[in-house]
Amino acid sequence: MAAAATCGTSAGNKGCTAAAAAAAGGKNNVTSFQRKGPRASVPDSGCARLVSIAGTRPSVRNGQLLVSTGLPALDQLLGGGLAVGTVLLIEEDKYNIYSSLLFKYFLAEGVINGHTLLVASAKEDPADILQELPAPLLDDNCKKDFDEDVGNHKTPESNIKMKIAWRYQLLPKMEPGPVSSSRFGHYYDLSKRMPQELIETSKWHGFFFPEKLSPTLNIEPCSLTHGYIKLLQFIQNVIYEEGFDGSNPQKKQKNILRIGIQNLGSPLWGDDICCTENCDNSHSLTKFLYVLRGLLRTSLSACIITMPTHLIQNKAIIARVTNLSDTVVGLESFIGSERETNPLYKDYHGLIHIRQIPRLNNLIYDVSDVKDLAFKLKRKLFTIERLHLPPDLSDTVSRSSKQIPAASSRLLGQECGVMAGGRKHLDF
Amino acid sequence: MESVWGLGGLVLLRDSVEWEGRSLLKALVKKSALCGEQVHILGCEVSEDEFREGFDSSINSRLVYHDLFRDPFNWSQAGEALPGGPLGALRALCRRTEPGPVTIALDSLSWLLLHLPCTTLCQALCALSQQHSPLGGSPPVEPVRVLGLLHMELHGPGPMGALSSLAQTEVTLSGTAGQALAHILCQRPRQHPTHQTQCFSILPDFSLDLQEGPLLESQPHPDPHIPPVEPTTHLTFNLNLSKKEREAKDSLTLPFQFSSEKQQALLRPGPSQATSNIFYEPDVYDDLDQEDPDDDLDV
Repeated sequence: MAAAATCGTSAGNKGCTAAAAAAAGGKNNVTSFQRKGPRASVPDSGCARLVSIAGTRPSVRNGQLLVSTGLPALDQLLGGGLAVGTVLLIEEDKYNIYSSLLFKYFLAEGVINGHTLLVASAKEDPADILQELPAPLLDDNCKKDFDEDVGNHKTPESNIKMKIAWRYQLLPKMEPGPVSSSRFGHYYDLSKRMPQELIETSKWHGFFFPEKLSPTLNIEPCSLTHGYIKLLQFIQNVIYEEGFDGSNPQKKQKNILRIGIQNLGSPLWGDDICCTENCDNSHSLTKFLYVLRGLLRTSLSACIITMPTHLIQNKAIIARVTNLSDTVVGLESFIGSERETNPLYKDYHGLIHIRQIPRLNNLIYDVSDVKDLAFKLKRKLFTIERLHLPPDLSDTVSRSSKQIPAASSRLLGQECGVMAGGRKHLDF
Repeated sequence: MESVWGLGGLVLLRDSVEWEGRSLLKALVKKSALCGEQVHILGCEVSEDEFREGFDSSINSRLVYHDLFRDPFNWSQAGEALPGGPLGALRALCRRTEPGPVTIALDSLSWLLLHLPCTTLCQALCALSQQHSPLGGSPPVEPVRVLGLLHMELHGPGPMGALSSLAQTEVTLSGTAGQALAHILCQRPRQHPTHQTQCFSILPDFSLDLQEGPLLESQPHPDPHIPPVEPTTHLTFNLNLSKKEREAKDSLTLPFQFSSEKQQALLRPGPSQATSNIFYEPDVYDDLDQEDPDDDLDV
């Protein structure tokens, strides 16, 4: 799954079948295949042409419109990016350090691309969140910073070109180098803040729940928690008024709305799934996600939600929440756990689990074959790498668990059964 | 302990039956009163007299005591009780507008957790400890320190986890052999949490005596029964090469490498290797067909 896809937002020219070029070029109307493009006579021109919005690109697999999550390594793991109209759920790590970084990367990417932002939080003021966005790395100095950051951690052995396994040097690396600022994913420098003028020119809406909560309100019991209802109404208003769902036709320039919701499900939103196991309205979070997804699917928006799933007491809710979200990424940091001192994990700060990838207009998943991933927070960058565990060569490990001869001895005939049944391991 | 003092925000004092925390709470209250800060106390579990006992009069005059113990549900209707019950009292504390650093002591959070829904309490605590002024862009407000006494055994993992996620500092009291220990977990926003252990004792006049004892940065020691994983111990090959071995390795030509000598050797038919001989002994089951099966191919 090389993510070296054709970049750029070329409208149309999705050569849909290979036969189209040959067939349409040579003979006239012999085949019914027609090349899709702006020249083709398509009655509904809206759907044949791809919308060319800044900061988006079509997926190489199924043409789905993608936006970047702000972290090119994560884009690569998710199959190119986050699809427009979907929800990215981040399961927070224990102290909410790294998940807030991913949240900020997402918003920073929106600021750079000129997307409209909607930031909702019950703990921090959205204006404060926006002040802390990382600064983008632009072309000229980014390569220098990137290389110096990588070079500091290079071991001397890795400088030797591989002599025996030389074909592995041709494999694409996990993280491509920094790309120019007009391309899809951008790199950010965590040690600097985003310049004030960039934030001021961006358009953003903030939802700070304690402000909307009026203390004298008598909260009547209903199916959704009060906070969630307010948030949904707010999002719906923004989508409708700004025309992200196509309802204001005089807006010519289409744009993407990036929604960021922080700490959803925590008690500060008024939801008590983190406090008790059998709560009264245990379905309010799942209903919220359901309605939110409906809103997103009918508009040009993408949403990131961070959720403290380690606090949720009822594990069934976590499973339901995972099913109701499209892409789910879990972060597990090593702080305070016994893995911190484990020498296997000493270079990394935590593990990242891609728990779910959506099947959008597809029958198969786009899962990458790399399952064990770890992240590391360097001084300026947040990197995701494949976790290289050294081979476990102790004598007692898992060789004895391979009871293959025992099973196969039943399948084999009588004459072979004696030989196969006698040995315990298959040792090559 | 100074790091506890530097940060504002919510400080959870988690105590248990063996190691009670009210004396530590009173010691911290005394310390902030001596620093000249305003101190508000929301007393729910013990009476006002019992709380004020042990403080001398100068400190007692600085404490502003909100009493919820005597009449929590306002049954006497004498007008002395706080309006709105516990929640009203908390919200009133949020709305105070005097400038300057302030310390609010909640004695105890467990009582409040049992009488208020957990979500409402969390929202109120968050509003209390994050007193940013309503006008945006003004200079940063003085830190508000909220000390909450929490009895660990009374609550399940749900409320404890929820309160821990809100707290900037957590002090867990424990001890060994008569010596009280405080495990302090400090979480500065956007930084890694730091963990330290401190021995302390409370003197009769509620001064805090920090002992130099084992002030360790507590690291989780590896379990002595399981030796640390060392993957290079039982290898059948050598991972560490000496310099001579490394040179020998580098100078070795690999079989697929097509160096010039090899090329010359192959091009020049050597005397010993005119043709490569294949020695074949036909097996009994072998099908020896002298006909070339590829003859009918038009190659």
